[in-house]
Amino acid sequence: MPRCLFGTPRTRRFIPWASIAIPGLGWLLFGLYPSLATIGYSFTQYSGLPGTPLNFCGLCNYTNAFTALSSTVWDAIRVSLIYVVGVTVFQNAIGMGLALLLNRRGRSYAVYRALIFMPQIFSVAVVGAIFSLIFDPFSGPLDKLLHGAFGVTSTFLGSDRLALPLVMLVNVWMFSGYSMLIYIAGLRNIPAEVYEAASLDGAGRFRLFRNMTFPLLAPAFTVNMFLTVVGSLGEYALILVLAGGQHGTQTLGIYMFTSAFNAGSAELGYGSMLAMLQFFLTLIVGGGVLWTLRRREVAL
Amino acid sequence: MSSAGARPEPSLGGGEYRPHVAAVLSDRALPATEPRSRRRPSVAQRLRGLRTNVVCLLISVVLFALPLLYLLLQAFKSYPDFLQHPTGLPHGWTFQNFTDAWQQGDFGHEMINSLVYAIVPDAITLVLGVFLAFPISRGYFKHSNALYTFFIFSGFLPGGLIPLFIEARSLHLYNSMPGYLVLTSLSGAGFFFFVGYIKGIPREIDEAAVLDGCGYIRFIFTIIIPQMKPALATFGIFGFVYSWNNLILPLVMLSDDALWPVTRGLYSFFGEHTSNWPLVAAGTFIVAAPILVLFILLQRYLVQGVAGGASLGTQGVGRDPVAVATESSASSVEAR
Repeated sequence: MPRCLFGTPRTRRFIPWASIAIPGLGWLLFGLYPSLATIGYSFTQYSGLPGTPLNFCGLCNYTNAFTALSSTVWDAIRVSLIYVVGVTVFQNAIGMGLALLLNRRGRSYAVYRALIFMPQIFSVAVVGAIFSLIFDPFSGPLDKLLHGAFGVTSTFLGSDRLALPLVMLVNVWMFSGYSMLIYIAGLRNIPAEVYEAASLDGAGRFRLFRNMTFPLLAPAFTVNMFLTVVGSLGEYALILVLAGGQHGTQTLGIYMFTSAFNAGSAELGYGSMLAMLQFFLTLIVGGGVLWTLRRREVAL
Repeated sequence: MSSAGARPEPSLGGGEYRPHVAAVLSDRALPATEPRSRRRPSVAQRLRGLRTNVVCLLISVVLFALPLLYLLLQAFKSYPDFLQHPTGLPHGWTFQNFTDAWQQGDFGHEMINSLVYAIVPDAITLVLGVFLAFPISRGYFKHSNALYTFFIFSGFLPGGLIPLFIEARSLHLYNSMPGYLVLTSLSGAGFFFFVGYIKGIPREIDEAAVLDGCGYIRFIFTIIIPQMKPALATFGIFGFVYSWNNLILPLVMLSDDALWPVTRGLYSFFGEHTSNWPLVAAGTFIVAAPILVLFILLQRYLVQGVAGGASLGTQGVGRDPVAVATESSASSVEAR
C-alpha cells in the first residue's frame, strides 16, 4: 500500500481521510443510505406526513402485494416485462441497423449520426410534450394522417390498447441513437483484414453479417442488451409524462412513484416495497441477460 | 483522445470494453469496416453511395429530427390559425407564442433556477470528486480497490428515491433551494468517476511536487485538476445536461413553484394549457433550446459522457470485481 506523500509526518496519515471526508460522507448520506433504507422502509407503514407514526409491520406490504393487491402488482410486473422486452428488442434491432447503415465516412454521415443521437439530450418533459402533440387525438398530425388515409381515429395515448406500445415507441425513438453509438464503436473495433479475407472468399453481404459482423459485435451486443434492459426497467419519468401510468402503462416503477408521491396516496412503505420488487426484477432480468450473453460470447 | 498525447484515453473508470467513443459521432476514428479501395469509384458505385446517403438523410431527418421540427413549426402559429389548420405550415408567422409562454410560464425565473441547479452541483461534484478520487486511485487506503468496486456495484442497489424524500424532509432540505443544492451536490453521482483517470497521471508528479514543498490542496488545484481538463469537461457538460433535464427530483423535492426549474415548470405549463398547442410548443422549445445549443457546440463531450457512462456501467458487471480493480491499476503501470 503506497503511503501518502503529502504533509508533515504528523499530518500525513490524516490527509487522505480529510480529502475524502466531505464527498464520502455526502455519498453515504445521500447516495448509499437512501438505497439501503429502501429495504428498511419496505417493512413499514408510513405516510411521511408530519406527525404520523412510522409503523413497523414486518412483511405486511409484501403480503398485501401478493394477496389483496395481487392483481394490480402482477399487472404492473407484466407491463414492466412487456415494456422491457419490447424496448430492448426494438431498440437493439434499430440501433444495430442504424449502426450498419451509418458507419461510413463523410461529413454528411456525421450529421446524420448526430441527428439520430439528438433526442436523448432532451428532458423527458420536452420529449413528452413533443409526442403528446404528435399523438394528440384532436389536432395531432398522426390522427389527421390516419383519418385521411384509412378513415380511422384513435385516442392514442388515451387508448388502452395503444398507450403502452406508443410509450415504448417513444422510448425507442429517444434512445436508439445511444444503442447505435455503442454498436458503431463495436464495428470500429473489428479489424478491416477480417472483411478483406471474407470478401476474397466471396461471402455475400448477408452471410458476411451473420458469420462475421454479428459474432464480432458480441461484446457491444452484450453491453447494449444489458444497458437497455436495466435502463428500460428503470424508466418511469417518460411514462409519467406521456401516459401517467394510465391506460395499461403502469409499470412497477411508475406504480412505485404514484403510490408514494401522488397527492392523496403517500404510501411510502408500500412504495418502498415496490422499489424492492423493481430491484429484484432488475436483478433477475438484467442478471439473466448478462449471464446468458456472456456465456454466448465465450462460446463464440 | 488524440489530443491527450501519451496519456491514456479518459475512460472514466477503465475497463475491458473501451471503444473509442469520443470519435464515434465525429469522424475521427476511421471505420475499419470499410476497406478503402485505391481505385476511383465507378459511376455505379457512386450512385449506390448516393442512394445510401439519401436513405440515411431521410431516416435521420424524417424519423429523428422531424418531431422536434414539427413542434417548432406549431409554435409560430396563432391559436386561431392552429385551430383551423392544426397540421400544416403556419399562415402568417408569429412570435407571440414565445413571448406569451415566456411570461405566462415564468420561464425566465425558472431558467435562472435551472442554471443554479445545474451549475452549482456540477462544480461542487467535480471538485469534491477529484478530492475523493485522488487518494483512492493512489491506493492510500487499505481497501481502495474494494471501495471503488463497491461504489460501482452500489449503482445497482434498490432505488432510494423514497428514503431520500423522507431524509430531505427530516433534515429540512425539502422544498428549499439550498436544500436541493445540498442533496444534488453531495449525492455522489459521479464522485468516483475520476478514479480511473487519475491512475493514468504518473506518480512522479506527486513526488516532484512534494519535493518542491507543494501542499496537498494546492497540489490538487494547481497540478491535478489542470491535468484532468478533458475528463472534467466531459463530466461537467454531461452533468450539466443531466441536472438541467431532471424532472423527477424537482417533482418530488420542490413543491413551491417559485423554486421550480424549467422542466418542472414545463410539466405544469403543459398541464394548464393542454389544448393551446402553439403556446405549449413555444414553451417546450424555450426549455429545449439551451440544451440544443449546447449539443450543437459541444457534441463531442456529450457523446463521450454518455458513452463513458456506458463503459462505467458495464465494466465490472458480470466479471470478477478484483480483476477489474487490478486491471485498472495494471493499466496505470503500463501508462508509466
